[in-house]
Amino acid sequence: MTLLSVRDLVVRFRTHDGTVYAVNGVSFDVDEGETLGLVGESGCGKSVTNLAVMRLLPKPAGRVEGGRVVFEGQDLTRLSEAEMRDLRGKEIAMIFQDPMTSLNPVLTIEEQMVETIRAHRAVGPREARDRAIELLGMVGIPSPELRLKNYPHHFSGGMRQRVMIAMALALEPKLLIADEPTTALDVTIQAQVLELLQRLTAERGTAVILITHDLGVVAGMTRRINVMYAGFIVETAPTPELFAHPRHPYTVGLLHSIPRLDGPAGEPLIPIEGTPPDLRWAPVGCPFAPRCAWRVAQCWDENPTLEPLVTGVPIQMTGARATHRIACWNPPTAEEASAGRPLREGFVPAPLPTRPSDGRAVAPLLEAEDLVVFTPGRDPVTALPGARSLPEPPGPESQP
Amino acid sequence: MSALPTAGRPSTAGGPLLEVSDLRMFFPITQGIVIGRHVGDVRAVDGVSLTLRRGETLGLVGESGCGKSTTGRAIVRLYRPTGGRIVFDGVDITRLEGAPLRRMRRHMQMIFQDPYASLNPRMTAAGIVGEPLDIHGIGTSRERRERVRELFEVVGLDPDYGERYPHEFSGGQRQRIGVARALAVNPDLIVADEPVSALDVSIQAQIINLLERLQGQFGLTYLFIAHDLSVVRHISDRIAVMYLGRIVEIAGSRELHDRPLHPYSVALLSAVPIPDPAVEARRRRVILKGDVPNPASPPPGCHFHTRCWLRERLGNPAECETVTPPLTERSPGHAVACHFAERIEGTPEAAAPVSAVAPGGRLAGS
Repeated sequence: MTLLSVRDLVVRFRTHDGTVYAVNGVSFDVDEGETLGLVGESGCGKSVTNLAVMRLLPKPAGRVEGGRVVFEGQDLTRLSEAEMRDLRGKEIAMIFQDPMTSLNPVLTIEEQMVETIRAHRAVGPREARDRAIELLGMVGIPSPELRLKNYPHHFSGGMRQRVMIAMALALEPKLLIADEPTTALDVTIQAQVLELLQRLTAERGTAVILITHDLGVVAGMTRRINVMYAGFIVETAPTPELFAHPRHPYTVGLLHSIPRLDGPAGEPLIPIEGTPPDLRWAPVGCPFAPRCAWRVAQCWDENPTLEPLVTGVPIQMTGARATHRIACWNPPTAEEASAGRPLREGFVPAPLPTRPSDGRAVAPLLEAEDLVVFTPGRDPVTALPGARSLPEPPGPESQP
Repeated sequence: MSALPTAGRPSTAGGPLLEVSDLRMFFPITQGIVIGRHVGDVRAVDGVSLTLRRGETLGLVGESGCGKSTTGRAIVRLYRPTGGRIVFDGVDITRLEGAPLRRMRRHMQMIFQDPYASLNPRMTAAGIVGEPLDIHGIGTSRERRERVRELFEVVGLDPDYGERYPHEFSGGQRQRIGVARALAVNPDLIVADEPVSALDVSIQAQIINLLERLQGQFGLTYLFIAHDLSVVRHISDRIAVMYLGRIVEIAGSRELHDRPLHPYSVALLSAVPIPDPAVEARRRRVILKGDVPNPASPPPGCHFHTRCWLRERLGNPAECETVTPPLTERSPGHAVACHFAERIEGTPEAAAPVSAVAPGGRLAGS
């Protein structure tokens, strides 16, 4: 059964620096009890997608400008603020990266947990407190009765994240969104928290969206993965399929740019050249094109849509048999994916076209001719190429 | 590209570049507002000994608060060590001050974790990279300008970007500026403190490859400090594992990976997630109990005994709580600080903390 269905979600931020194109038409489904990984680097839109689902986008800058978010048959984008408040925590809960900033530092754990439980359930304070103790015990916090009286700063990072998990699961939500839940934690503590998260959500049949940049974490924790880049889903597949047969150049690049602890020692890394795009520019063409080793001329002009690898079969959106889909004009072959670079003879990535492919000439934005820059008080005088002669030194009235 | 100047290098060619013995770095805890009463110490580094050979990379790995960064900073003498001895290229620098210390610093430079915080926002990139040359009075101003342009090229930055300010660069580019600054004075030793952990995954490999290339090009020696064991293993010849201010195991990179002898190393190796669902599914993970204890009052005996899975297996022997295990060499180049290191071999945990790679390389797995 489909629990959450996101269709053509578009999120923009209106800032002083202009519009930020954060999410540019993302569609995906989550089944009941399914674990979905959302992988990508900072700024790829993975967190924003989920803040939009939760209707927690920073206001007034962030706005859902298109698409639908359907949770159990109701479109969340159309709910009133009160209805949404009722749904948050009870139906969809969220865990953030830094538990210190998501717990209230001036309230004890007891006050925060009891408040959460009583906001959604008709129970008395005593009953809510018993439930809080039970939950803290469940997430492995020793002597929960005593720890209830503590403030967040009394807990270590790993313990705080356990408290967050306890609070998130307090109302038995159907969907848990975990946004980089272990990124701030040490690796041995990360192992503890992930194990706990996996066990508790599996026991309860809670669906999980796990947002992370760490391919190792999603490999062990999820059944299906969406890879995001610049606000687009560029590849989606069941987890084993994605790691065994990655087909998008970005996914291939990610897998080759991290050293693997179990890989042969000294294997060279193949970095992805360049840097992630500036999202203040409206996307033109494939957003990954400037960094892609496989790009062809088409990539600069047309943004590929997410299409199944094999055409002519019905698309499966969820589950272990979900259709492997990529958004790419020139996908790497299996051999190339495994080598991490193009192997075709004589292939060179298409250079940035100077004019669009339809032949229209591009008008220059700025032209300068015979420009002279005169720097007072320093030697030598800096003249830009193209200057034919130096003018008279400007008088004081013309200086800024 | 012209050769980098080599004048002023220490002359002694043989022997290790750096020898650290019993290094201790305590930070006092004081109480009281006007007169700070000394009530205790945070024992950040508590008896660390290590040797760095010329041209090698020693990885220093451990969790936050284990003292790995403090060790690195004490070695380049950003701190005055509480105790122990640091011998750099035959010179005892433990108590060096003033001008002689500054002269030594030319030979050891540092790369910091946060490329946003470690570059002065009011200086241009060229100013930042050239500053060590000014401080050490190297070359004329024209030579310095030349050298800065050359350094920009060496680290893969456009030399024409020299007049830009740090905020105009991306994280990866900023880290390149940090690397260029460290290289400016042509040092022998570079202490890199988490140089890639603040960077995006796709950028990390660029910086790792750059560091590897520079090492070959300029014969650099690295002390590479990081919490990410996959990265440390990739770049290091040898690895030292730290826990609560002490080195608990030190061995060749491959040896540590294949045959860890300290229960903490085993747990650390087993906790690193591997980007392969097939491997993840068949791994046996050692989940440690609890958190790292407070370094202001570390547990007596072996610091790790409160979380040790091996001690539990052996029926909690009293020795672990009372006697500090010395770092003892078990095989050539492989030293471990555990009373029961010989008992760890043969345990299922130690047998496959990482799990073997499937045949066919990195992308195989299903």
